[in-house]
Amino acid sequence: MAIEDLERILGAPQMPLQPYPAKVITLANGKEMVVREAKKEEVGVLLGTVYPLVGVAKDFYDVVAARMYEELLAWYRNRIANMFAIVGVIDGTIAGIVTSRQVHEKLGMSLHTLAIDRGLRVGAHLFAAKMENHIDVLGAGEVWIVAESPIGYKRWMLEYELEDRSSLYPEVRHELSGVPTHSLTRALWEKHRANKCTGLRPAPAHLLATAAKLKMPNRYPQIPGFKREQWQRASA
Amino acid sequence: MIDFGIYGAQEPRIFAYRCPQCHTAYYPPPMLCAKCSNRRDPSGIVYDDWEKFPLEGACKLLTWTRVWALPEGYDQPYLLFGMVEFPNGLRASGRLEVESPHLGMELIAWVAESSERPGHPVNIFLFSEAAARPLPTNLRCD
Amino acid sequence: MAARVGIAATGQIKFGNLSEYDLVDIMAYAATEAMEDGGIVEKHSIIDQVIVANMGGGIINHQTGIASSLVSRLNLEPASAELVENGPASGASAVKVGWMAIASGLADVVLVVGGETMRKVTGWAATDFVATLLHPEAEYNMGLTLPAFGAMFTRLYMERYGLTERDLALIAVKDHENGAKNKFAHVEETCTIEAIHDNANAHVVNNYVAEPLRLYSVCPVSDGAAAVILVNMDSPKAQQFRKPPIRIAGIGSATDTHCVHNRKDPLALAAVRVSAERAYAMAGLRPADISFAELHDAFVTLEMAISEEVGLFPRGKAVDAVRRGDTRIDGCLPISPSGGLKAKGHPVGATGVSQVVELVRQLRGEAEPGRQVKDPRYGMAVNFGGFANNVVTIICARE
Repeated sequence: MAIEDLERILGAPQMPLQPYPAKVITLANGKEMVVREAKKEEVGVLLGTVYPLVGVAKDFYDVVAARMYEELLAWYRNRIANMFAIVGVIDGTIAGIVTSRQVHEKLGMSLHTLAIDRGLRVGAHLFAAKMENHIDVLGAGEVWIVAESPIGYKRWMLEYELEDRSSLYPEVRHELSGVPTHSLTRALWEKHRANKCTGLRPAPAHLLATAAKLKMPNRYPQIPGFKREQWQRASA
Repeated sequence: MIDFGIYGAQEPRIFAYRCPQCHTAYYPPPMLCAKCSNRRDPSGIVYDDWEKFPLEGACKLLTWTRVWALPEGYDQPYLLFGMVEFPNGLRASGRLEVESPHLGMELIAWVAESSERPGHPVNIFLFSEAAARPLPTNLRCD
Repeated sequence: MAARVGIAATGQIKFGNLSEYDLVDIMAYAATEAMEDGGIVEKHSIIDQVIVANMGGGIINHQTGIASSLVSRLNLEPASAELVENGPASGASAVKVGWMAIASGLADVVLVVGGETMRKVTGWAATDFVATLLHPEAEYNMGLTLPAFGAMFTRLYMERYGLTERDLALIAVKDHENGAKNKFAHVEETCTIEAIHDNANAHVVNNYVAEPLRLYSVCPVSDGAAAVILVNMDSPKAQQFRKPPIRIAGIGSATDTHCVHNRKDPLALAAVRVSAERAYAMAGLRPADISFAELHDAFVTLEMAISEEVGLFPRGKAVDAVRRGDTRIDGCLPISPSGGLKAKGHPVGATGVSQVVELVRQLRGEAEPGRQVKDPRYGMAVNFGGFANNVVTIICARE
């Protein structure tokens, strides 16, 4: 078999995915967070944003950051099918990233949620955006969800009343390490959407413009004394 | 003498207590009556224990809340709680099984057993509108 | 005649997430900050009594006898040492017991340290831990929590006095404006009224915690420690300190029914009123004399309710004062210049002590620019031990 043929197999077949319409959320401190889909050509900035957290051994940051780094790289190198990444951007700087993939028309597989900015519920807003994309935009009937952190997982289980599919393991298993999973169904999303998902659409052009060229954060609450220059060679 | 009556189906109950001297009712009971200073002896050995009567039935909603941040041991996204007043003037706090409460509404107080607190099961108040006993769907039965 | 008792030095740790640190270590750190403030680090054996305020040591940290532990952490043997536990009023009660030790002649220099590490456990466990102060059968067993009672109280207050959710949000904006300037505050961010109330996003950004209380109506879960060193003002030992002491002019404490449902009027905070009356009487002062106050705003409604109960505003009128801006730092009666429990945080054992730290900093003119009360004379702190069933009021005076 020619190498080009193998590339067609290894380079995952991609479903055409509807674009996620950008929105703006006014956070509690008055700052506007642009929530938009990231483009593959922005992966460099996303990788540079995630990478320092691979070194944070607390609260499962290391494994979440390492896994998200892998997802973003695989997305760029066309080694993961139907993935999308949504970013939260404040004043042009990335505040949080979520990754996920559409398995087929009816099923979403939630991958990771990484919030850099703390105390503003960035992670909660971006997780909701991820669910909004799967169910409202891409038309999935349900999204399978799992997490590395037991505390984070319990919050989602309670807040969204996720359906427990763990008794169907191992036939039903999440792609993240093949573990038992819970599900956010369309019915549950419709029940909780109003309390969880918000944002102004269409996103005002002047705010979208501020998020056009993504910047890596210069400050990580998780890494006191962080200095960006020590973490990269190439410029953003 | 053996009281064989204790071996039977036990309906969960929550009791109010009445001072035998001045008949003031209390929930929950103190060890000393506030009105006449009569002492209470739960063992019933030195003094007779105070008369107790079940607190249940018709009551009025004084205030309420829907709590989204529940303590450890609860697996629901939210629970409602209320404070009620009984016709005899006693008041109590407990779980509200009403989706759209309003202040002053007439309710019925029931008692159910709950395993949500650490340790052995406890009796809790449920306040509902229904005349029929509400199914305690939120309660774990271990 | 009781000795005059003053606060010679203060120390505090920035409240926040300190869960990787040991409880007694963080209390000892706050104590050494106070020693530094007082210029007695090398002379710390001048301390003859240590009083520790802590609520969760046994439940959260699996530690008891914490006062004894702290003494050795600071090499203060053979000072006397005791723990005072009065729920979230442990701090103010510890200051009160310290006052009693000096006023009685039993001690001349008393180190009072309050501390708590609530973030060593999950939020659900921390909520459960605080709920253990409720009546075990009649309240705790039902699943009730302090926010649940705060919410039920707020609903009644709204119905009786016309308080709105926007008023609650206004107080939060004020508290965070102050807290953002306080180097010890847990929450560094400010919030805007548009973002947490007015605009279309706000119901999600500022979600309900216990209706009608929202995220920005309740204090965060915090770790932290604070310390004060009390001194007999007429003892030669008072001269060993770098700064002249701030006198404790009045202390009062009182209780109310344990079960919230047994309060005669569910909106009356009788223990607050009586404790304040006792403090005013001891100080020879009236509400009009108070320059600023730190009130136990675990839920922002309490800032208003307590201010009315202690006589700073007429009953039901505190909400008007909030709308006028009277309680802002530049208003006629600043409340929570530290950011309050809302922005500064609420490590339960530390709070009462940190309220007194704030009184002293303000009276000495040591608060950060932008949150310094103008020329304060008397400061008042009110610390709750339960849901208003055990309250300690402290008034400090700049002589």
